[in-house]
Amino acid sequence: MAANTDRRRINAPSGGTSAPVFAKPVKAPGYLQSLRPNRTRGPNELRKTCKQTNSIRTVLQTGVVPSASGSAYLEVPTTTASSQSSLIPPTSSLKIAASIQGPKPLPRSAPFSPTLVLTTTVKFAPFATRYRRGYIRDSAERDLGVHLEAALRGVIIGERWPKSGLEVVITILEGDEDAWWGDDKAEGGAGSGWGLLNVLAGCITVASAAIMDASIDCVDMVAGGVAAITADGQKVLEPCPAEHQDLVAACAVGYLASRDEITELWLKGEVGADPDELIEGATHAAMGSVSVLREVLLESMGTKTKVANEVSKRKLEDVEMTG
Amino acid sequence: MAATTAAAAPQDSAHAPALTFPRPIFAAVAPHPFLQAHLAASQPSKTPLRANSRTAHDFRRVGINTGSLTHCNGSAVVRLGNTSAVCGVRAEILHEAHVQGTADFAPSTGNEAEEDPEREREEIESLRLLVPNVELSTGSTPQHIPGNAPSSFAQTLITRVQSLLLSTSLVRLSDLRILYTPPSNLDDPDVEPVPQLKGYWVLYIDIFYISIDGNAFDAAWVAILAALKNSVIPHAFWDEDLETILCSDVPSEAHPLTLRGLPIPSTFAVFEGKRDWNETGEEEEADWVLSDPDAFEESVCRESVCVVVDCTGGNKGTKDGILKRLEKSGGGVVERDAMKGLVKRAVDRWAEVEKATNAKS
Repeated sequence: MAANTDRRRINAPSGGTSAPVFAKPVKAPGYLQSLRPNRTRGPNELRKTCKQTNSIRTVLQTGVVPSASGSAYLEVPTTTASSQSSLIPPTSSLKIAASIQGPKPLPRSAPFSPTLVLTTTVKFAPFATRYRRGYIRDSAERDLGVHLEAALRGVIIGERWPKSGLEVVITILEGDEDAWWGDDKAEGGAGSGWGLLNVLAGCITVASAAIMDASIDCVDMVAGGVAAITADGQKVLEPCPAEHQDLVAACAVGYLASRDEITELWLKGEVGADPDELIEGATHAAMGSVSVLREVLLESMGTKTKVANEVSKRKLEDVEMTG
Repeated sequence: MAATTAAAAPQDSAHAPALTFPRPIFAAVAPHPFLQAHLAASQPSKTPLRANSRTAHDFRRVGINTGSLTHCNGSAVVRLGNTSAVCGVRAEILHEAHVQGTADFAPSTGNEAEEDPEREREEIESLRLLVPNVELSTGSTPQHIPGNAPSSFAQTLITRVQSLLLSTSLVRLSDLRILYTPPSNLDDPDVEPVPQLKGYWVLYIDIFYISIDGNAFDAAWVAILAALKNSVIPHAFWDEDLETILCSDVPSEAHPLTLRGLPIPSTFAVFEGKRDWNETGEEEEADWVLSDPDAFEESVCRESVCVVVDCTGGNKGTKDGILKRLEKSGGGVVERDAMKGLVKRAVDRWAEVEKATNAKS
């Protein structure tokens, strides 16, 4: 493990540690299956709308990092209620924070760039997934960063900021899983990567909200959406991989709703003869995020004008400072 | 928001041009005079306010939210004004076979009544059973951009956190040990079976800053405290058939961590006013000790003091505190008498934070 040699952090015991193994699933095979979560919403039902009570709804909030030029936080709750009889969490929710630094001048050593230089960093927190992650970025995180960059590059009008750089930093505090943990173990832990698609869609949505918050010129709002096909050919929107045992293909898009364009498309698995249907499903899911984004945009505009008013009022009251 | 004028500016010289700026520009161009102008309020009737409209002794309110992360044994989100941190505590098992050099830590006898914090600390430290880490490069400040190695600030911060964790003996070793008592010997039923040490729980304590606006240390520590208080460790046992450590997933069998006391840090920044401003005037107090500095104040203050107190030991509430740690660096303004005042302020702060940690957990 690379973390063992990192002298700038506090390291784990050199002998290595292992995640706890729970006794009941090992000893009683039937018990394991009883924990399996199932999809409780319809195939076309989005996660956000499944529970209307305020406490378990999608949360999208801008302005969580005051020192950054723009920031947002997204929380998509899990649809499976955590059971009271077991300490093993059935599914995870999605919790992502995004922060935008810039646009700011590029360092002197950087070569000339006529457009905005976009840098995206996606990092999972060590506690984001069922298995502990390290502090050094791994390939999945770099992969997500590249996909996110592709999704954002298509919307930002980069020509307006020559010789400038923009940092988009995404922190995943809790991410979706690739499969149900019980299956995962049976297959030898080889995740098929379905969870990454959900994470990518969340990253696109939250980054879009943060870019809005930073007031960076865009052609449209980009929103993420996911759709998947199960083994029996059914199309499901916003799948929670833990709830499905038999996903064969999935697709995540970065979708511009008012222009009806796609800036990012990530397709995985055996799509079959007609991939268009799957892509269309993903754009439908993205439409759900668009409506949330619109709400947030209006809200943040409202608070911004209110703050601006207050500041100008205060200016009148202020005695000027001399120095 | 009380705005103040710099009264100390020489008024008599008529030809001295008095520059005037709007607030944000004044703060950016001349941060030091800006803060001094705030603190040296002209009207004696009003308490001088800092630029963030707190008085010098005001701390920011602590907001704590616990148990929001699914994959953690315990977690907390702490807000301290614009500073916010997420802390997740995760327990993993260190098998006895993988322990390196346990020979000197033979499992103590079943009699856990006499706990020796000093011995426990040594054992926890040498086996690295507590693994705290921080991550600042989350876009939380413009100074910490991801892609770089942990900055010296991050390294200092985590070293301070770790040394406080160890020196206060916050976590009990008995909570981390996984013992196994073999069934009594059939041939010799009189001999009491001796519990064997089969492994340890290792606590990974990860702190992610969402946003930093000064006083990162206090936020990190309160987040750790709240997360540890919130932590539940599953019941672990040695399975003879499988020859491994298994856990029970029944919540009622799991045990919470019982912490030793509740040490709470209070950080102060010392703002040294420029004395030469007041050439003709009488000697006036020109230094201020600011509680809970924000990022702007940290940038203009050199000296900082951190006082860690714990008032849980005594039965007289906050009147009976124990000083756990004093850290001071950067200058010599705070001397012995001033330090006494700071400790008093830290004790008052303890009561505030203690209330916040108990309210939510």
